[in-house]
Amino acid sequence: MNLLRTYILPRIFQWFLVVFIGITVTFLIPRLSPINPVDEILARMTAFQTMDPEAFKTMRETTLALYGLDKTLLEQYVLYWQRLMVGDLGPSFGNFPRPVTEIIATALPWTIGLLLTTTIISWTAGVLLGSLAGYFHNRRWAQVFERVVVVIYPVPYLIIAFVLILIFVAELKWFPLMGGSRGDAALTWEYISTLIYFGFMPALSVVIGATAFRFIMAKSLTTTEIASDYVQYAELAAVPKRKIILFYVARNTMLPQVTDLALSLGLIFEGALITEVLFTYPGIGFVLYNAIYNGDYNVIMGITLLSIIGVATAALLIDLLYPLFDPRVRLR
Amino acid sequence: MGTIIETNDLRAYYITQAYGVERTVKAVDGITLRIKEGEVYGIAGESGCGKSTLLRILLGAYEPPLTVVGGEVKYHLDGDILDAADLTDEQQRDLKWRTISYIPQGSMHVLNPVRRIRDTFHDFISAHRDATKSESFQLTADYLRDLGLPEKVLASYPHQLSGGMRQRVTIALATILWPKLIFADEPTTALDVVVQRGVIQMLKDVQQKEGSTLVLITHDIGVHANLADRIGILYAGKLVEESDTKTILENPRHPYTRFLIESLPSLDSREERLAIPGRPPALDRPPSGCRFHERCPLAKDICQTVEPDLIEIEPKHFTACHVVEEELSSVAV
Repeated sequence: MNLLRTYILPRIFQWFLVVFIGITVTFLIPRLSPINPVDEILARMTAFQTMDPEAFKTMRETTLALYGLDKTLLEQYVLYWQRLMVGDLGPSFGNFPRPVTEIIATALPWTIGLLLTTTIISWTAGVLLGSLAGYFHNRRWAQVFERVVVVIYPVPYLIIAFVLILIFVAELKWFPLMGGSRGDAALTWEYISTLIYFGFMPALSVVIGATAFRFIMAKSLTTTEIASDYVQYAELAAVPKRKIILFYVARNTMLPQVTDLALSLGLIFEGALITEVLFTYPGIGFVLYNAIYNGDYNVIMGITLLSIIGVATAALLIDLLYPLFDPRVRLR
Repeated sequence: MGTIIETNDLRAYYITQAYGVERTVKAVDGITLRIKEGEVYGIAGESGCGKSTLLRILLGAYEPPLTVVGGEVKYHLDGDILDAADLTDEQQRDLKWRTISYIPQGSMHVLNPVRRIRDTFHDFISAHRDATKSESFQLTADYLRDLGLPEKVLASYPHQLSGGMRQRVTIALATILWPKLIFADEPTTALDVVVQRGVIQMLKDVQQKEGSTLVLITHDIGVHANLADRIGILYAGKLVEESDTKTILENPRHPYTRFLIESLPSLDSREERLAIPGRPPALDRPPSGCRFHERCPLAKDICQTVEPDLIEIEPKHFTACHVVEEELSSVAV
């Protein structure tokens, strides 16, 4: 009971606070931006034809009213919360009147599929290789590995992606440039293989940098850990290496690594904007890019809302689960 | 009683090279020791005199930049004489904990913070003996009870124990397999005096139960007075005086030892204690001749150039000092 009151409840309250502030800020930011979605649409409509100024004015007002942008900021804010409570994120301004929830629901599986895979692969590979390279830092393979990673890590993501596109897509033509899959969605190998085929390049481009980052992190954590008194003492006492690596080194470096994994998983809901744009991958990053371009407030807010909730929930879960990993934060 | 470990003219230097500049720190420079089976041998000296380095070499647990450049360390175990430098990895592993063990300096961090005490014990026990988890727990529980430690520490994590308790648990962890030869590096440092007393008593118990040999390193002469049978005084990487504890405390001959003993507070006298003038020399460029001559009020010309030998000035009392040597020879004449 005490645990619930002193540990769990404050953290859940914190979660609500973070989400509330986050939603308020995301409500304000697009409205403060110089792009007005109504003017964007009207500009597109009047691009190839002239319009009577009077009609133009009426049309602008009607559209503003239709989108709910004629009301004061406060009224819009209250309305926004009211709709949010029933799970309505409003219509998309760019694809009026398609609901934002529908747009996100279509795009989200692509992003989750792509980023869940890359996060798990890069985390596992980076932590495993980095820890081993840190523990066996005198071995030749570990040193070679480290040099390679140190060279790759600082390369900007865009350049890695472009190089991959140039080599494997443009030159060798092994992989397609755009799209997510071919054929109708079904649980057949035929369809799934096209998923892998289309997703391979975007995934690879993300995995390279993310693995390098985790490798460096895992290696430096391990280097600190093997110099610690308890690892040195266990080695002096000839405790078997396997045990030292598992229970003395990895068990301790795992603490920050788990936090990193959880936060990365929370960030999935933000999408991989650059990746999805570069590879024209139909995920929420791509949707977000178009929404920003069109001043599509509701879509921007829907996606931001998702990522706020994603990160806040991940942080909450870490807080609640951390005592299981680290006895030092347990309540006594 | 036979000898259990000896060193002959042992020299161990820290050799580092950075940007082409080689630096050699002569932390242990020509030390000859004979430690007898079953005794408590104390090694004393101020910070930076090479105490811990000597211990690392005796224990065979050192890595570059620390290098043995001369001399030898020999273990006399079960009738065999083993040269520490010739041991295979396997022999090293077999000796550790079962025969030779080590109580480290600063036990605050030698226990894995995310592992329960009993699991740490199991790791250490099962590394040297076939033991299931429950056998290890039983062995540990019995041993802790013998030593008067509460059984609940077994299920605890290190951070839940006090500093004194952690030190005691560490001593238990080091001696759980009844090693013949125990090295302890500053086992009471950083503990308050009341806890120190408990830890000293525990070390005594552990040593006496099986008649193990204890090599005790500390700068605290008070601890040596309580525990040690014999004391060796180290100064700047050299052994300057060695005798039984009583002689060292009551009749020290080397000027450095005298300073050390005289600086101890006493219950009978309230006068101010003198500190040793100057500071310990840097060991990358030790002074010529007697290494203490710069701080020694009795220093003569010869002290600046000729290194004094360790000589037996009375039975089993060794001192390396020109002044003492001269006094003796003048008395003899």
